[in-house]
Amino acid sequence: MTKLDRPVIIFIGQPNSGKSTLFNAIAGYKAQTSNFPGTTVSHTHSEVYIEGKVLRIVDLPGTYSLNPVDPAERAALAHLFQEPPDLIVNVIDASLLGRSLELTLELLELERPLVVALNMVDLAEKKGVKIEISKLASLIGVPVVATVANRGRGIKELLHLCLDCLEKGGCRPVAPRWAADVEKYIQSLVKSLPPNFCGLANPRFTAIKLIEAGDTFCHEILEEISPELKIRVEEVRRQLEALRSMPAYEVLAAERHHLALKLFEKASKVERGRRVSFEEKLDSLLMHPFIGYPILIFIFALFFFLIFIIGNPLEQLLLKPWSWLNFWIHHQPGPPVLKAILDGLSQGVGAGLAIVFPYFLPLLLLMSFLEDLGYLARAGFLLDALMHRIGLHGKSVAPFILGFGCNVPAIMGTRILESSRDRLLTSLLIPFIPCSARTAVILAIVAFFLGPWWALGYYLFHFIIVAFVGRLLASFFKEPSPGLILEIPSLKIPSIKTILTKVLWQLRSFIQFAWPVLIAGSLGLSCLQLIGLDHWINQIFKPLVKDVLGLPANLGVTLMFGFLRKELSLLMMLQALGIDYLSLPQTMTRTDLVVFTAFVSLFIPCLSTVVIIWKEISWRAALLSILLNLTTATLIGSLLRLLL
Amino acid sequence: MTQRVVRLVEAPQGVPLRIIDLVGGPGVRRRLLNLGFHPGDLIERNSNALFGGPVLVKNLTTGTNVALGLGIAQKILVEIVDDQT
Repeated sequence: MTKLDRPVIIFIGQPNSGKSTLFNAIAGYKAQTSNFPGTTVSHTHSEVYIEGKVLRIVDLPGTYSLNPVDPAERAALAHLFQEPPDLIVNVIDASLLGRSLELTLELLELERPLVVALNMVDLAEKKGVKIEISKLASLIGVPVVATVANRGRGIKELLHLCLDCLEKGGCRPVAPRWAADVEKYIQSLVKSLPPNFCGLANPRFTAIKLIEAGDTFCHEILEEISPELKIRVEEVRRQLEALRSMPAYEVLAAERHHLALKLFEKASKVERGRRVSFEEKLDSLLMHPFIGYPILIFIFALFFFLIFIIGNPLEQLLLKPWSWLNFWIHHQPGPPVLKAILDGLSQGVGAGLAIVFPYFLPLLLLMSFLEDLGYLARAGFLLDALMHRIGLHGKSVAPFILGFGCNVPAIMGTRILESSRDRLLTSLLIPFIPCSARTAVILAIVAFFLGPWWALGYYLFHFIIVAFVGRLLASFFKEPSPGLILEIPSLKIPSIKTILTKVLWQLRSFIQFAWPVLIAGSLGLSCLQLIGLDHWINQIFKPLVKDVLGLPANLGVTLMFGFLRKELSLLMMLQALGIDYLSLPQTMTRTDLVVFTAFVSLFIPCLSTVVIIWKEISWRAALLSILLNLTTATLIGSLLRLLL
Repeated sequence: MTQRVVRLVEAPQGVPLRIIDLVGGPGVRRRLLNLGFHPGDLIERNSNALFGGPVLVKNLTTGTNVALGLGIAQKILVEIVDDQT
């Protein structure tokens, strides 16, 4: 069996435990990694070669407990039971040991091989928490390794320990027992389980889940499989409720909570009266009820101008050789087919290199920095009240901000939202947020020709659209949002290595997936022009492009490509008009440029976004999103034409 | 020793508070429990965001920081713990 040759290790942990950082640090040893941007990945997996063995490691979305409350947690749980791993690695934020152990206790209840990676021990020490690793390990009965994932510390030890567990077949814990009076009822339910009952992990775990999982764990089908058991479950629930005068699930949660706190007290020392760290001081400023807002605005303004300051000179520098090359191609004798292909190739390669890269790269860097710093949650805190105006709450802020990077992961990010109404609403609004590809082109074209203030105004304009459309949508989805419960992770000064690794990944996926589409698009347009088909396409789009928006009809063909990737429309604008980048102002007026950029950046969610909305929400939502974008873009485009 | 039970939104800032009860449906209760907020825990209410924004709450027992919308903060009953004890 191949499973034994290539054992599966699952990484599970609470959100912000540094699980993914640990995973990436390990995947650094990798030989093969699959991480497909733009496809639905509920988990990331990678293969690690260590001491001649192959380990298959899986990174699950963060989950607070094995009682899921949102789709991301449900995905993690489903994976854990559908593909039972050979070993579970529980990643813990050492600075929040008391709370994190609640999940660990649940994992111990599974009685499956388990290793604990006590991550961020440096942060814990900064907070004055000193943990005795060996003591903790002996208390919970499974091995514990201290790690600092973002500095790569403890990773080798962790992998060796995993190998050890897999080879010797150890690390199998015994479920911790609770207070005798609670335990009595659990055991009585265990005895009531039919001998062939389709349980999870072990009878005790099954009994526990029957009691606490409510409607999430086969409660409906229980009626059919075993009506007697259902009656027993309800009886035990009532008994537990009477015992502690709180809901049965809360009785069990309280048991874990007390046990976790007891373990925490025994295994660690908390130093009181320590100095307030730099991060904490910074944090109190960032979250300050008054100062927090100017800082928020400042950060976004800085973000924008930094990208522009880095991107603009770089763009000018890189554009020159491509203009020369294009000029050269156009003035060469030779068969038109060859010329068309060469022209398409140079346009596509040049667009990626000279227009997208200069802005894309700094944007990725800054995004990763904000993400790793933990600023997204803080922005969520500050903007909660504002989000209520559009019928959402602060938890949607993080997916929105992610949308500035790329809409696709942003829509996947909506999985952290508990209610499906919030998910739908947020997913419909995300395509209105200019992603990095669009931003690059906006900056390259609007800022290049009209100046940075126009670009900034243009950017702010998107916020107004999001607010307006959000307000409109909220009036249709009246059902109230469940309210904000958002963890604010401790502020972490990001490590340069982690950021660079992340950016490199994203850059690689751009080169692998997006750039080829750019080049293929340019080639496609060249070919269409060669056989004169572009003329027909332009005719089809003419009523919209020429009559409604007042733009040159030649631009119609670019809209077709814009559906693949939005920046294509803008990049191909030059090719479609048959002009050079620098001679654009002679063909397009300022109004034309603004109208076209506005229309293109709104008119339709790009193909990958449509696909991801379809997959994550529904085909209806995808269709709605397309219609919503098309209507908004047409309205805005014609409005701008009249106003400017 | 008379303790006052109030809603978290009405509780003073910067003093230790003990969670007495989480009122509200199982959805809200479970989410709070998952984040490590249990009855009996000591918490502290910190700053508020502007314009009726959320309350920042620190769980002194587990060290977690959480932003709670006003609607949620309405549903948490706390008592003020005497500083001397």
